[in-house]
Amino acid sequence: MDNELGSIETEMKRGFLQLLVLAVLEKDAYGYAMVQTFRNMDYEIEENTLYPLLRRLEKRGLIKGKWELSEERPRKFYAVTGAGREMRDGLLGIWKKQDTIIRHFMEEKRHV
Amino acid sequence: MYKNLETYLEEISHFLSGREEREEILSEIRSHILEKAEREGEPATETSLDKIIAAYGRPRQVADKYLDGQPIIAPAYQRFLFRYTWLLFSFHFVFIVIGAIFKKSFSIFPFLFIPGRDIADIFLYTPTAFLTDFGIVALVLYYITWTGKETKLPWPKFAIDLNEAKPVARIATMIGAGIMLALTVVAVRLFLKFQTIFLIGSNFEKLRPLLLPKPGQLISLAILFMMAAGTIVLFIKAFSASRRLAYWVDAIADAITLVMIGLALHQPFDFLFAIDLPPRSLAWMHTSLTVTMLIFALMVAFDLVKNLVRLGRRRLVK
Repeated sequence: MDNELGSIETEMKRGFLQLLVLAVLEKDAYGYAMVQTFRNMDYEIEENTLYPLLRRLEKRGLIKGKWELSEERPRKFYAVTGAGREMRDGLLGIWKKQDTIIRHFMEEKRHV
Repeated sequence: MYKNLETYLEEISHFLSGREEREEILSEIRSHILEKAEREGEPATETSLDKIIAAYGRPRQVADKYLDGQPIIAPAYQRFLFRYTWLLFSFHFVFIVIGAIFKKSFSIFPFLFIPGRDIADIFLYTPTAFLTDFGIVALVLYYITWTGKETKLPWPKFAIDLNEAKPVARIATMIGAGIMLALTVVAVRLFLKFQTIFLIGSNFEKLRPLLLPKPGQLISLAILFMMAAGTIVLFIKAFSASRRLAYWVDAIADAITLVMIGLALHQPFDFLFAIDLPPRSLAWMHTSLTVTMLIFALMVAFDLVKNLVRLGRRRLVK
């Protein structure tokens, strides 16, 4: 059961992570800082999943990356683009609709 | 510079070869691991990095997540890889056997050359034939995947019934095996007495060989071999519930039968009979016997293909 739950969670996470990253990058951030932000909110994300996702979003023009070399260690900062914001709003709409449908059926179940 | 970190990045780099953004990916991973080591503990050391590297994931697993390429063969066509390979190989195998029987080379398509080899050479050539067929099918499926078109691949439904054959009642198989055994024993006894099973005479006491000694002996042995193979197949089917084993023994018996038919067809017909026959009757008998044997060989070859495809499909299902 735990294994099955884990694999479904992985599938659900795929879309959710894109939305989450597009939301959090309203403010510039780099990979490690993002992992910490999510961890502080009690949400674990695998580091080796985040970086490839950032790369894919950057390739699609939804986020923009820039290396910051002035500090002690070079870091790549990301920020959401205009196209990314549009995508985020679209995804948010889908997510809210799904949430409404689930809530509707859970409420129905409670009244039965 | 940390040796273990650089080794780890080198391994990831190996799996990302050919990607132009490889260096940037590695720089980002390096930066992440070093920052994590410093923030979560004391200044980075090779020992502290070991734990972080292990937690980050195995190099291939890490690299895989960056590689989201198209599969070589689309999932919708993957099952056809083994189906078509087995189908092609089955025909190929039948042609190899035919080539070996008649000791003649021929080509079916420009790329499918069948060398006329000895029976023993078949065992050496067959794996090469299988790999060739696998390669041809894989190449075609790769091309179809690459074009991106929604190609519906045909699969014979009526020509080769791949549904599992309904098992004949075991008791009927046993009776069949018993009859075959009795016939084989009678044939063997006749052969031991007359050195042939082709006899002519008005009664048992006056029986004499129909064929000349050498060809008569050879054709008789070929038929005895087929009868023995058929008997063994029926006994195996009667005492084993395994379908897979049944398909295997059927396929082997079919291959043996094909070889025996080939040997029989090789006999010079003009010097076959020990009795005098008018030339016209001889010619007519020659034609009708050859046609009958060839039809029989075709039926056996078809059964061989069916059994080999069934075996291939069962392997695929597993």
